[in-house]
Amino acid sequence: MSEPYQTLTTDVLVIGAGGAGLRAAIEAAAAGARVDIVCKSLLGKAHTVMAEGGIAAALGNVDADDNWQVHFQDTMRGGQLINNWRMAELHARESPDRVYELETYGAIFDRTPDGRIMQRAFGAHTYRRLCHVGDRTGLEMIRSLQDRVVQLGIEVHMEMTLTRLLKDGDRVVGAFGYNRVDGSFVAFRAKAVILATGGWGRIFKVTSNSWEGTGDGVAMGFDAGAEVLDPEMVQFHPTGMVWPPGVRGILVTEAVRGEGGYLKNREGTRFMLEYDPNKKELSSRDVVARSIYKEVEAGRGTEHGGAFLDVTHLGAEKIKKKLPSMYEQFLRLADVDITRQPMEVAPTIHYAMGGLRVEAETGATTLPGLYAAGEVAAGLHGANRLGGNSLSDLLVFGRRAGTAAGAYQREVGLGGIDERQVAEEQHTLLLPLTGEGKENPYLLQQALQQAMQDGAGLARDEKGLKACLNGVLELQQRAARIHVPGSRRYNPGWHTARDLRFMLTVSECIVRAAIERRESRGAHWRLDYLEKDSALGRVNFIAYNDDGHVKLRQRPVPEMPPELARLIQEPAAMPPPTTQPPAPRPPSPKRVPA
Amino acid sequence: MTTKAPKTTSSIVFQVFRGDDAAGREERFEVPAVEGMVVLDAIHYIQANYANDLACRWNCKAAKCGSCSAEINGRPRLMCKTRVDEFGKDEIHVWPMRAFPLIKDLVTDVSWNYQVNKEIPGFTPPANEPVPYRMLPEDTERVYEYRKCIECFLCQDVCHVLRNHDDKSMYYGPRYMVRIAALEMHPLDTERRTGLLHGKAGVGMCNITKCCQEVCPEHIKITDNAIIPLKERTTTDAYDPIAWMLRKVRPRREPAGITGAQTSELGGVRLPQRFAVKDVVRLKSAGRPFARVGGVRPDGKLEVWILKMRGTQQHWKGPRVVDTSEVTNNYGPLDDVGIGSKLFEQTLTDHAE
Repeated sequence: MSEPYQTLTTDVLVIGAGGAGLRAAIEAAAAGARVDIVCKSLLGKAHTVMAEGGIAAALGNVDADDNWQVHFQDTMRGGQLINNWRMAELHARESPDRVYELETYGAIFDRTPDGRIMQRAFGAHTYRRLCHVGDRTGLEMIRSLQDRVVQLGIEVHMEMTLTRLLKDGDRVVGAFGYNRVDGSFVAFRAKAVILATGGWGRIFKVTSNSWEGTGDGVAMGFDAGAEVLDPEMVQFHPTGMVWPPGVRGILVTEAVRGEGGYLKNREGTRFMLEYDPNKKELSSRDVVARSIYKEVEAGRGTEHGGAFLDVTHLGAEKIKKKLPSMYEQFLRLADVDITRQPMEVAPTIHYAMGGLRVEAETGATTLPGLYAAGEVAAGLHGANRLGGNSLSDLLVFGRRAGTAAGAYQREVGLGGIDERQVAEEQHTLLLPLTGEGKENPYLLQQALQQAMQDGAGLARDEKGLKACLNGVLELQQRAARIHVPGSRRYNPGWHTARDLRFMLTVSECIVRAAIERRESRGAHWRLDYLEKDSALGRVNFIAYNDDGHVKLRQRPVPEMPPELARLIQEPAAMPPPTTQPPAPRPPSPKRVPA
Repeated sequence: MTTKAPKTTSSIVFQVFRGDDAAGREERFEVPAVEGMVVLDAIHYIQANYANDLACRWNCKAAKCGSCSAEINGRPRLMCKTRVDEFGKDEIHVWPMRAFPLIKDLVTDVSWNYQVNKEIPGFTPPANEPVPYRMLPEDTERVYEYRKCIECFLCQDVCHVLRNHDDKSMYYGPRYMVRIAALEMHPLDTERRTGLLHGKAGVGMCNITKCCQEVCPEHIKITDNAIIPLKERTTTDAYDPIAWMLRKVRPRREPAGITGAQTSELGGVRLPQRFAVKDVVRLKSAGRPFARVGGVRPDGKLEVWILKMRGTQQHWKGPRVVDTSEVTNNYGPLDDVGIGSKLFEQTLTDHAE
């Protein structure tokens, strides 16, 4: 028998209030639907807020030769061609409009002298393409979207965690969870559900992700029967902070290199000149991360096992203007003045390329009524994401999921709530408070993070992955015996107990797929299979739920139409020298007095 | 004198507030010291090892989200940005923000802020403005500072209108002055919010003690660059008949950017400044101090009393005679601007005597 719970009814339920969730909600509301947004934190604190460097869109404001075709090429090549070409195409074509649209919501990007949006260079982007606001682009984006949501009067349920999708037959008809503040249960009935829950970086020890990145959406989708695509593809950002220990993993934006920072080893050599003489520091993230790793392995690392990232040659004024939060972050947390000393950096877990498999045009998952957008969805980035492509991903596919869910909800009625599913989830949720177990949720979480870091990290091999899998399976057993003291009122230990189950599900998907992909491709680097395998380059791995067990199968990578395939075969355009100034400024117009 | 190194690893004592709206007290925890540790690390250590149910908010742990606000040894700060080594061997007291109702332990109910935010008319560009927007860097520059705000609500916590007088019906608080300033100064915004500022938002309640800008982790000059300009704008709109007339002749703001080339000459007119006893003004002299008009002399010069802050205490030095050209802004009559608290009056009288 289940405990009473509150039932809320809506047309479109959006789970997650980061960039993708907010953008989806705006679009679904524009389609005339009643929209409710649910988020685990307060509004405006989602992980999007931590994005620093910028949003990739081929506006061609600074390098006039840029266009969507080049952006498409860069994205596909960066993803080692296991991306969904249609997503990459839509993304490259639509990003500029989504950026302009953001300014109509009140965002203000940094500008060229003649008043257009300024763009900066970034790793593996042929042209200067990243629209940015200093190094706080994500904050600007989330604030603008948040303001728009408030303006439209969309209901936001803050500090509420949804933990299970409710199904009526095959169709997803709502979700069940709890209020974090008082621990009371809540069920949503909705005609359509959009997952925008972000990634799963928190399952690793050294991560740039906030506590929220526990893979909720992927695990909920998986539990409900949706397919998980490319879970083995986990991105290491090359530059996370290293020292002191408390800050390990905190992101150092790629904009540092975009603005002209050098990577050096202990001997002072710019080692990227050897690893990638063309793109140097601005090579793709997988390449730079591996290069740092190799330097450290070769004994040329810094004192704390990283590399030096040096911007001192840029001058204090430029650093403080273009990288203000990096300046502040190092000064405050590491006692390093980056205008005078190099930063110490090492790779940190940053992003999940894998996630729920979705239809390119609509963000529809393989379950009717369930949509996914943003990091929780997969396909766009393939084996490696380019910097700046995630923010544009959120906007392009957030909007598309919102449109599709808005249209879908007009065609269908509300489904029924199955009390058995509700009772099951209540049981799962309450077990840590009522059960006989003795396990500590935080210590289990730490054990998982350590296991994944050791076994499924930057450099992988069969032996380590298998040991990691055993570790994960053992932790799954122990997680059933978690005990948490205290009441249900704002109890983070209790919250962690449920999050941990999501993390364990996702971890198993990652490790199983990583074992099967016996090659090195993009972010997936196998020490025992150092080369690419052309046969595996034609497939994606899919993890699916077979009666509670993680099973894998292969799925052919969707084939590109000839006109796009031709684009990929063309030689890469040569990037212009980054010292080239932006397009000249027209005669200065008269100033409007303040 | 020589002492042996302690055998145990050094540890730091934390006194963390635990409780809910019914009752609460400090609880003592010892946390092993780690180099470079911040207060949030210690809270996490306590959660993992001593008190799984210790409630606190946090997200990014990199001072970008503004979730982990607390009062550390009495000062409102972000836990993720406060190094424990700055306190030496002292005990560290961690309390929730006290301007908001307590939910549990370090978590407070900040929903009032979100309610206030809903009352502020959002960004309203001109209906026919062509997209993509053109905005010149000179026009956008000043808005960036306001938009740095991470909504940690530390400024709201320290604002004595909200905190000491618990008067949330009179004033939106510094955060929302920053938000309104961001909107008002947006080069393409056409909405007018001075009525709201003068009324419900209560910009006049701020008496410029600058506590908010002192605690801002993003170093936004909240008082100097947001609240004071809004006071100016509000006073002009609310009281100045010439400004009122000018508004009738032309709308307040032209769309900026390239179209700015056709701006009417009227836009550049400097409004005459009239002075009366009790007006609060700002001087051009070093530090741009505030002053209060004590008298207007027959030759047009002003006798002013200059505001000196000692800590949070206001002191008024004077009288000094200045030319009107020495004045950059006239905030208008004391009572209306709200700088005039009883304390203000009293201090002024004391000094005059």
